[in-house]
Amino acid sequence: MLKYVLRRILQIIPTLIGISFLSFSLLYIFPGDPAELIVMISSGVEPTPEMVEKFRKEAGLDKPLVVQYVNWLSKVVRGDFGTSWSSGEPVIEEIAERFPASAQLFFSTFLISVAFAFLLGIISALHKDKAVDHICRIFSLVGISIPSFWLGLTLIWIFSVQLHVLPAFGYGELKHLILPVLTWSFSFMAVKTRFVRASLLEALSQDYITTARAKGLPERVVVFRHALRNAMIPIITYFSLSMSHLIVGSVMVEVVFSWPGLGSLLVESVFKRDFPVVQALVLLCGVIFTITNLVVDILYAIIDPRIRYGD
Amino acid sequence: MLTRREFIKYAAVGTASLAGISFLGCTQKGGEGEATPTPVETSKAKYKDTFVLGEGKDHKLDGGKWGIGFFPKIHVLERLVEYDMKNDELVTSLAEKWDVERDGKLITFQLRRGVRFSDGSELNAEAVKFTVEWLANKHPLGSETFESAEVVDDYTVSITYKDAAFFNLAKMAEFHMSIMSPNSVEPKGDPTGKLTTPIGTGPFKVADYKKNQYAVYEPNPYWYERRGIEPKFKRFVVKFIPDEDTRVMALRSGEVDAISDYSHGGSDYTPRNQLNVLAGDGYKVYKRNIPLTWVIAFNYEKEPFNDIELRRAVSLAVNRDEIVKIFDGHVRPAWNGMFAPEAPGMAKAGIKYEYNPNKAKEILSQKDVGEVSFIVDKSQGDQVLVAQLVQQQLKEVGFNVNLDVLEGGAYRQKRDAGDYDMRLYYIGGTDRRFYLRLYWRFHPETKWKAYLSPKTGELCKAILKEFDKAKREQYLIEFYKSLYEEMGVVPLYHDVMTVVTSPKVEAKQEQLFEMAEPFFYGVGVRL
Repeated sequence: MLKYVLRRILQIIPTLIGISFLSFSLLYIFPGDPAELIVMISSGVEPTPEMVEKFRKEAGLDKPLVVQYVNWLSKVVRGDFGTSWSSGEPVIEEIAERFPASAQLFFSTFLISVAFAFLLGIISALHKDKAVDHICRIFSLVGISIPSFWLGLTLIWIFSVQLHVLPAFGYGELKHLILPVLTWSFSFMAVKTRFVRASLLEALSQDYITTARAKGLPERVVVFRHALRNAMIPIITYFSLSMSHLIVGSVMVEVVFSWPGLGSLLVESVFKRDFPVVQALVLLCGVIFTITNLVVDILYAIIDPRIRYGD
Repeated sequence: MLTRREFIKYAAVGTASLAGISFLGCTQKGGEGEATPTPVETSKAKYKDTFVLGEGKDHKLDGGKWGIGFFPKIHVLERLVEYDMKNDELVTSLAEKWDVERDGKLITFQLRRGVRFSDGSELNAEAVKFTVEWLANKHPLGSETFESAEVVDDYTVSITYKDAAFFNLAKMAEFHMSIMSPNSVEPKGDPTGKLTTPIGTGPFKVADYKKNQYAVYEPNPYWYERRGIEPKFKRFVVKFIPDEDTRVMALRSGEVDAISDYSHGGSDYTPRNQLNVLAGDGYKVYKRNIPLTWVIAFNYEKEPFNDIELRRAVSLAVNRDEIVKIFDGHVRPAWNGMFAPEAPGMAKAGIKYEYNPNKAKEILSQKDVGEVSFIVDKSQGDQVLVAQLVQQQLKEVGFNVNLDVLEGGAYRQKRDAGDYDMRLYYIGGTDRRFYLRLYWRFHPETKWKAYLSPKTGELCKAILKEFDKAKREQYLIEFYKSLYEEMGVVPLYHDVMTVVTSPKVEAKQEQLFEMAEPFFYGVGVRL
């Protein structure tokens, strides 16, 4: 097991290097001269060629790309993502300021939507093609189809404007969290409910389930100990992918509810071509995604010993 | 080593704890006083202690890159002069008089005595010198404007500008030229220091600020004393609500007492098509015309719109009356000039844009025009609708218009690369920005021009140089006429500034729009 974990950790190192290089390259993927772009955005004026050349030398942009990358990476590993071109503030401070809001929104939404996705998905699968299944499927379909901004505004209209029980916007208190979480959870759980249902149905159709039932095991044991455990592998994989939503998934919810999270920061930064912030958030997103995958791989091995191949 | 079952059990407990901490984090924050402040009512007073406003943009009270936001520049700070657009004159504010020497290269300002910053310190020549030097070090407009400042005596300061021009005086009414106390920066009085909290002579002082969430202001007793009036609230809370629909909902739910357009004009405004509905539901809608005009700007240096006749065809094809319907008629169609009729000299220029699609078709029939690219920034929702309508109107006369709705960065990229034929743009601004935007949009030396020809460029320079009001007006009229004859831009509509309040809010139009920007010093929320 330990060997397996170590091997997986070693395997993610090239991935992380690749992600960091892609993040760094964003500046060069964008058309035009990066030095001119930086001077123009950060000074707000049309730079002269002398200004551009001076900056190029000062910032080390005249050095080979690999040298620039290594310099950038050496700062990044120490937590220095540079300074935002639009605000003039250190990028790490901007991210740190907004991270708690994003984390609160994401983890609350994740927990609620996963709980309900399991509940509805299992009910739906166990009552396949019956009325309760149809209701759950319609619920999922509606959840997937309704745009978050529309649902958010509708909830504001009901709970804030009509009933005056919850705030329409803001951040800081528990009451501010309810409507954004409800809005985001609706679409989040809708997709996951369908996935749980499909995975469980797939597992329930396997021969070992027929065998289990033929042995006379109670249905509860068949479903939860045999079917659901085997259905968990794809479910965990799928749910783990949603960790990337921690940063980018809540943009619409953040905008509608004036929630000061990372999603809106990323979108604002992309629109402003504020590359240091975009680079940092893309890298952060990639790192979170990669580490989540590592954790999931380890979970696989715990849940299903067959996966510890080579151990 | 844990068994699988144990691991799963502990993992489940861990996840639940994480979520619990997440929830708890929220509640604890509220308990520590980081939550958005809520109104406090007093029973003795006629008005609520707190006035809550919803606005679309953060106030950047921690200094931002270009200094604090426009709203605090109006509400916390004041300027040496103000611009009276009706009379096209710079009028007294913190300066009670000024002497212009060397054609505007040097202006000596005599300061009003007895004016105090909200921290109790006195407004004097040193404070003005500090502001000028700080702006010259920290702000692009300051660095391109000021050469130096010199204290003549306690209440007299001489400012030397980089050029000799009337524009120097006009610029002193601009948002960015607002005067602040040397105590606003750290280290105090250092003209290269970091802005910490803006301290000004205006009606309010900063009491609290949470970036991207809210700002809390309190009345500046020195300002109210100077004006001889009493504030009607003790605290002024501005909540930042970027989404325009949420702002309206917040007003309807009673979480804010009023919502306001962004002080800059032209963005982050209350949706125009909701104003009548709100008024019908008992909310009070206050409106003020501003000399900000949305126009079609051309890539006039390359084909096809280097051809004046084709630009004229575009103007003839556009029905401005249809365009203003997008805004429920709350903005004015630009038939009589590229600026609102209130702009200096505009009414006298006698300009009349014509709607004549047949004439436009006739012009087009004589030209060989391929596909025309029209770019618009999609972050400006209403502008996308305007662009779609313009595209339709142009198609009706035979233009093959490809409308490209782009996100902000991509729009600017295409604009800067000159990779477009037409785009939506704005000229003018609130009153105080009239000359500044004339410079930014039509002066030969600026980058973000709307249009330039040898004649309009020379006239723009002459306007900005000229101190004599009558001569300046004459130059302006000539400039407007040239811009019209050359069809430099095609004006579509003149914008407005709005404030919507709940029925409980008492406000007077003349106070609320004492300047072009909403100004909330006289507002009160009835109990």
